[in-house]
Formats: sequence, structure tokens, C-alpha cells
Amino acid sequence: MKLLTKTTLYFILIMLPVFAAGAYYLFHKFNKEIKHETDEELVNDQLEWLRYLDTASLDNPIFRFHTQEFQLIPTDQPIQKKFKLKGVNLYQETEDTQAPFRELSQVISIHGKNYQLILRKSMIEKDDLAKNIITVMLLAFGGLLVFVILSNWFISRNIWSPFYRSLDKIRQLQLNKMETLQFNRTPTHEFNQLNDALNQMTDRIHQDYINMKELTEDAAHEMQTPLAIAQSKLELLLQDENLSEEQLKNIGQTSEELQRLSRLNHSLLLLAKIENQQYPVTEQTDLHPVLLKYLSLFEELIREKELTVDTKLAPAAPWPLHPALADILVSNLLGNAIKYNYPEGRISITLTQTSLTISNTSNLPEIPPANVFQRFRKSNQGYSNSNGLGLAIVKKIGDSYRINIRYQYRNGLHIFTATC
Amino acid sequence: MKLLIIEDEPSLRNSIREYLEHQGFICEVAADFREAIDKVGDYEYDCIVADIGLPFGSGLDVIRELKTLKSKAGIIIISAKDSLEDKLSGLELGADDYLTKPFHLSELNARINALLRRKNFDGNTSISFFEITIIPASKTVLVHDKSITLTGKEYQLLVYFIANQHRVVTKSALAGHLWGDAYDQAGSYDFIYTHIKNLRKKMLEAGGEDYIKTVYGTGYRFG
Repeated sequence: MKLLTKTTLYFILIMLPVFAAGAYYLFHKFNKEIKHETDEELVNDQLEWLRYLDTASLDNPIFRFHTQEFQLIPTDQPIQKKFKLKGVNLYQETEDTQAPFRELSQVISIHGKNYQLILRKSMIEKDDLAKNIITVMLLAFGGLLVFVILSNWFISRNIWSPFYRSLDKIRQLQLNKMETLQFNRTPTHEFNQLNDALNQMTDRIHQDYINMKELTEDAAHEMQTPLAIAQSKLELLLQDENLSEEQLKNIGQTSEELQRLSRLNHSLLLLAKIENQQYPVTEQTDLHPVLLKYLSLFEELIREKELTVDTKLAPAAPWPLHPALADILVSNLLGNAIKYNYPEGRISITLTQTSLTISNTSNLPEIPPANVFQRFRKSNQGYSNSNGLGLAIVKKIGDSYRINIRYQYRNGLHIFTATC
Repeated sequence: MKLLIIEDEPSLRNSIREYLEHQGFICEVAADFREAIDKVGDYEYDCIVADIGLPFGSGLDVIRELKTLKSKAGIIIISAKDSLEDKLSGLELGADDYLTKPFHLSELNARINALLRRKNFDGNTSISFFEITIIPASKTVLVHDKSITLTGKEYQLLVYFIANQHRVVTKSALAGHLWGDAYDQAGSYDFIYTHIKNLRKKMLEAGGEDYIKTVYGTGYRFG
């Protein structure tokens, strides 16, 4: 729920009982006032009547009078010194309802005879009063509601706009473009505080990001030089004709391990570079020739394992991918399909405009889905040449360039699918 | 043939120099940008091996200088930075080849040989090793003046071996030479053995000597 909707809702919830209480109070107050006025009028009327009756002649038919508003009935009751006022409900024939009245009653004596005098005034205005008050209150409430919503909308558009601008900026945040990001000054103190904090935060994140990036690159870069030196020294050492077989073997193995270290380093650097989006998509790369290139590069490996390769390749499959990454994607997937295959196994490759599927037979069981693309999660089944980064790199390419990489295991086949 | 090796790491510089001198090149070295600029200004070289990251300047600027001097020297960049931009700008400036550190000395040597052949003779020269003659322009191999048929990989192997004659060449260097980065995927070097076995057989059948010696657990030596 939007903050504004929420505040508006709370406002309405609070105003509702306030208005109800106000309406009740007003009704009560007016009611009392009207009663008071009516009673006063009744007393005045009574005085008028008494004055008139005193002067009237004895045979006046008024002495027995019976209407709703005025009754004068002979009675045996003793004279009352004080009149009584009360509210009554009387049946109205014309409207077929009960209507409220104020009533003044007193037993008086006229020319020595006792009469019950009753004066009544209709309080029918009371209903109208309640209706009017409720109408006025509803109108006021509705007006206020419209006003509140309109002003909130206005406030939202104006006062909150710097907030939404900042929010948009945060949404579009990209790590490598952070240095250009600036949250500007606003006329609102709170938003200035927020923007200052955001500026500091993005500066810090950007700095950390740059540091990390530089560290990864520098570390990998700096490692290459000592590796190159060690490698070259071993190669020179190998040339010594006086070395025993055992010594040659040891040098050979050391050299192998150095190669592995260097490949590992290279792969880690590659992962970092892909993550940093350092391979921009400037053109479409056709995967068809890339696949053919690696099929011919791996020709010996395929022949040596006596693998059967089925290919269903679309004549052209331009993918939005940097050529270097297209090479890596294809060579890693195809290389794995060969490496983890058994002799006389099968590989099938399907390439369409939007998908590349490579499936292979293997002695390896299904890879747990949680591990398949994890770094350094390699099978411990005698494939020492793997550095455990091949599929992690494939996945990273997928994540960074919107290519969906999926692994399935079906009928003994390991199936990798890349979809762009 | 005279080479200039521009590399600031003394150990690596010396290794490269030692290996290349053994293969019959005359090597000069430069340890930093200023020395490199001085040397390329003063002498003619057939080939220059240049690192990019140097004290006081960039190897790329040395290439620029060479181009202003209208030098005919072949240029091979060796860089620890496996970055595409470096590679592209180096090649755009007029470098002939690019090697990423760490590299095999035998690979560097083979590339220098190939480059010099291309530069100096437009490829119209032959490589000879006793009874073997290779004509690179037509990729023909003659043993005792009789042509033999080699596959592409076998031909590449033979050229590589002759460039690095009398040296122990490791299996991984051979694999890297034949398959580039893709050989990471191989899982084993067994397939190199197959190629070498076939090459050896073809040479022997043509009446050649068996020059390919297996060095136990490591690689091969030719000659």
C-alpha cells in the first residue's frame, strides 16, 4: 500500500468518529435548545390563554375543548399551582405515524371550576433537524475527504517527487556506472539527508567495487609474471642432458602443476571480467562456425574415444554475445561432453536460432542440481585435468548476458541447454 | 638474426635470452622503456620481443616508435595482461604476434622463427634439417628429396620440432601449439602421442632417421 494511501486511510479512520461525535453533540445541543424554546412558547401561550379565559364569559364553548394542540377539559382534580412540562408521542392520522410533541399541563380554576389545561407543540422539526445535521456533516466529511485526497495527490506529485527520483536512480543502479550517479539537493531536509546517505553509500560501494576489480585483475596479472619466470626456468632446466629420468619426471610434473595454476588463474580472471561486464555485446556472433571450429579442434579427442557425434545445426545462429565468450561457451560445453564421456559414447548437438543443446553419455551419475554450476565442485572420479571452473564460467556468461543455462539428466544423458 | 628482448623482469629476460641464444639468435636486451627506445633508435633488429608493462612507459609506445622509424623488424608482444584491448591495440599498431604470459620458451621461439620467415623471405624459403626439407609456402615436406604426405597437425609438429631442435619440448607446449587454449579441455595429452607416432612412421618409411626422442615423462627432443 502506498504511504499516501495509508496516511489518507488513517486520516479517514480518525475523522469518522470525530465527525460522528460532532454530529451527535450538535444534535443533542440543538435538540435541547429547541425543547427549551418550545417550552418557553408553551408557557407564554399558557399565560395568554389564562388571561383570555379569565375574561371569557362562563358559557363559552371553549371551556370544553379538545384538540391535539389545545385541550381544556373540566376535571375534579385539585388545582395545581405549577404547570408540568413533558414530551409525548401522539398518533397523527394524516401521516399514520407517531409524532413527538412537548406538552404543558396544569389543572386550573376558571370561575371556581377546575379544568385540566393541556397545551402542546409539535416537535416534528426535531427529525428534520437530525436529518439536516447528518446531511451537513456528511457533506463536510465528503468535502474534507475530497480535499484530503486532492491535496495528497498534489503533495505526492510535488513534495515526494525528489524521493521518487532517487528511487528511480537506485533502481537503475549498475555497479560499473556508479561513478556518474549523483543524488541531487532537494528543497526538503529529510530527502537531503536521504540523498546524502545514498551518495555516501554509492561512493563507498563504487570504491569497493573498483578496489575489488583492481585487486582481482592485479592479483591475477601479478601472478602471471612469477608463473612465467618459474615456467621458463623449468623449461631451461629440462635442457640439461645430465638429468636422470627421475629428475626429468619431477621437473615435468612441476611444470604441469604450474600450467594448472596458470590456467586456474586465467579462469578466475575470466570469471571476474565476465562479472564486471568487460565483454560488451557489440555484434552478433554466429554460433554455427564457432561450433564447427571446436568440433574440428577436438576432432582427435573425439576420434580417440570413438565417440559418435550427431549434429543438428541451423545454418546460422547469431547470438548477442562477444566472440571471445561465444568461444568459451561452446568450448567448455563441448569439451565437457567429450571429457566426461566413455569410449564409444555419444554426443548430440542441436543448434537453433535461440538455443544450443549439447547432450552426452557418461559414466558419471546425475549431478546434483545445486552443485552443477558451483565453482570448484568437480567430480572426484579421476578427471584431474578439470579445474572445476568450466561450468561456473558458462553459468556466469549466462547470468551476465541473459542467456539461460539449464542442466538436465534424462535416460543416462547429461543435457546442457543454453537459450538466448 | 638479431633480436631485441624488452622485458623488465630480469629472470624472465635471462631465460628468454638463454633459450633463444642457444637456438642461434643474437640477443640484445632492454630492461625498461628508455633503454628500449635508445636501442631501437640505434640498431636494426630482425625481431623485437616486447613486454607491454615497462618502467617509464608502455611497450605499445615502443611499437609506435618503431613504426615512426619505419623499422622492418617483426614485433611480438609478450604480456601478462590477457586483455583483449591490449592485444587488439598492439596488433593495430603493427605488432605481428601476441603471446600471453606464462608461455613456453619453445612456443616463443617457434613464433619468432615463423615471423622471421614471413618477414624476410615472404615465406619463400625452405627449412632444412639434414635430409628433411620443408617448403612453408606450399607446406611440402621432402625427405631425401622425396615428398611425403603429412596431416596438418603432423606438419605443424615437424616445423615446431625443427625450430626447437635439440631442445626438450614438453607435451603441454606441443598441445598448446597445436590446439591453443582449447587443449585445456583435452583431459590428457595421449592424442599428441598418436600424432607423433604417425609422424615418426612416415619419416621412417621415407628413409629418414628417427630424430624424435621421447624424454621420459616430460616430452620430446628432436635431433
